Amino acid sequence: METTDLSPHISSRFNDDLEAVRASLLRMGGLVEAQLKKCLATLSEADSVLAAEVVRDDEQVNRMEVEIDEACLRILATRAPAAGDLRLIVAIIKAITDLERVGDEARKIAHISLRLATLERPADRYREVRHLGRLVEDMVHEALDAFARMDAEAALRVPQLDRQVDEEYESIQRQCVTFMMEDPRQVRRMLDITWAARALERVGDHAKNIAEYVIYMVHGQDVRHTRPEEVELRLRGRGGARES
Amino acid sequence: MLRIWVLAATWLVATIAIGLSAGLAVGRPWLGLCLALSLHLAWQLTRLYRLDHWLRHRGFMDPPVLRGVWDDVVTQIARIHRRKRHHKQRLATVLRELRESTNAMPDGVVALNAHGEIAWFNRMAAQLLHLQGRRDIGIRISNLVRQPAFARHLEGGDGTAPLTLQVSAQPETWLSLHVLPYGEGRRLLLIRDVTRQTRLETMRKDFVANASHELRSPLTVISGYLEMLATDPTLDAAHAQPLAEMRRQADRMAAIIGDLLVLSRLEAKDEQPEGEPVDVGAMLALLRKDVLARPQHPALVTLAIETQDQLKGDELELNSALANLVDNAAKYTPADGHIGIRWWSDAEGAHCSVTDTGPGIPSSAIPRLTERFYRVDAGRSRATGGSGLGLAIVKHVLQRHGGRLEIASTEGRGSTFTCHFPPERVLAAERRA
Repeated sequence: METTDLSPHISSRFNDDLEAVRASLLRMGGLVEAQLKKCLATLSEADSVLAAEVVRDDEQVNRMEVEIDEACLRILATRAPAAGDLRLIVAIIKAITDLERVGDEARKIAHISLRLATLERPADRYREVRHLGRLVEDMVHEALDAFARMDAEAALRVPQLDRQVDEEYESIQRQCVTFMMEDPRQVRRMLDITWAARALERVGDHAKNIAEYVIYMVHGQDVRHTRPEEVELRLRGRGGARES
Repeated sequence: MLRIWVLAATWLVATIAIGLSAGLAVGRPWLGLCLALSLHLAWQLTRLYRLDHWLRHRGFMDPPVLRGVWDDVVTQIARIHRRKRHHKQRLATVLRELRESTNAMPDGVVALNAHGEIAWFNRMAAQLLHLQGRRDIGIRISNLVRQPAFARHLEGGDGTAPLTLQVSAQPETWLSLHVLPYGEGRRLLLIRDVTRQTRLETMRKDFVANASHELRSPLTVISGYLEMLATDPTLDAAHAQPLAEMRRQADRMAAIIGDLLVLSRLEAKDEQPEGEPVDVGAMLALLRKDVLARPQHPALVTLAIETQDQLKGDELELNSALANLVDNAAKYTPADGHIGIRWWSDAEGAHCSVTDTGPGIPSSAIPRLTERFYRVDAGRSRATGGSGLGLAIVKHVLQRHGGRLEIASTEGRGSTFTCHFPPERVLAAERRA
């Protein structure tokens, strides 16, 4: 079930359709990844050209969401897929929503970065936020890689990364509050930094969702709202039962 | 060795003969024959059973002793099998060696099938693109390398220029990806780690840009004071000549710095400018006027605008490129010479040429003409006050517009510089209307 080839179908056209829609999803993912990278660069380099690109890319991401949605519906309506194929389509429909949200968050970060750019930049160029950004970027990348490979093992690692992201976000928040209390003139900037960190944390959540869809797609198990350890236990248990 | 079937037939005939003669001896020939044949058949069947058992279960190891024709059959089978195994081993060795040698390659190689799916890759490719062993065989490469630029490159893939990009997994690594078509729709992807070169290149570009920028401010101060001194009436007349020379040199330095800045800006933007329609004809007419406004200019400057087509591109950049060409022509053409400017379009795109009747360029120098600070002969460009960067700028602008520069020249008779622009950059006059 973990193989990437989508089981032989009587109609190879069907297979092609499924492959095509998965490829478009990953293509959209690539665009969102690039967007995320650009918006983080906007933060550290205060580059308004990059910020404009993030906004422009977001329009394309939105367009792709609609297109992929339509393609999925067409497959559902005309081919009536079952089992693994159905799960793939459902996972794609869900994943595009999350990707589109990631795009929106990236756009938000680009806006905040431009606003921050008008203020004097601190010497560390927002190191904490950049670190958080790097973590989140990794999460999105891993989740999409897992999607491309139908790799549930790799998908399991993503929720674990999400914990790290949450901790990092907490610490940025605490730090900002401390700064605000020390120097009220910094409140505006600190609020913006908190917003940027918050947006990144949300991106991490979306990446986690995508990873969960991968697990659903491969194992047919809904693992939402479950602690990572439990998920692992459940899947391991299944694997063990199958072996014996 | 006799043929197996001959041997088997002989055995059969012998059996029949023995059976018949034994039967005749007891007066029941048919019974004798039947008994003999049954025995023969039973014996053969047991042999067949053992042969079948051996073929099925023993995997061609230790052949059974079956006697008679069956031994020959077994030997034949064993020999064929040995030969096959030998071939297989040889092929496997060749394959292993091939794999080991490709793994030793310093570049990554990924073979893609007609659907863009990974068919095979070497160890370096796995390392650079983070591919995972057998698992990634059969996955579309664009699903794993998701950069939008790569997808565009793969689709447009005529495999001309390599693409340099950062891989998300390792943000500090720059890879150069080159797609080469082979076979029917198959493609080979060559991957090279160019982090070091890219970093050096960036450092060089940054250095040139920063150095030129830093040099500009002190030069402005110097030029300012020189200008003040030149207009100072109390100054000794003997200083007028050196002051004028100083001002000239300061201007030249400013021109060089300006050109360096233009070049570094052109290099910094790697994407082609998006198409704003530019009226090249009008631009050339203005440039011609500029030449005629000079205190010393060639007697004849002709302009032939043969098309109303416009060009999609960056107006400032195109202007600086064409101005450089016209300026060069004006500088090198004597007062009784002729400059011809022509703008035309055809199926291959739009073209703009500048022809002069200057001293010409030796053919050995033509390929190097667009290098920075290249001089055909040491005296030439200094005497005319050029920066030595003009043609480098032209080349860069044309590259960014998908075009190319063609230089033709005969020594002593003059030169022609032609800019070729691709058809997709041309905005035809009728479509505009």
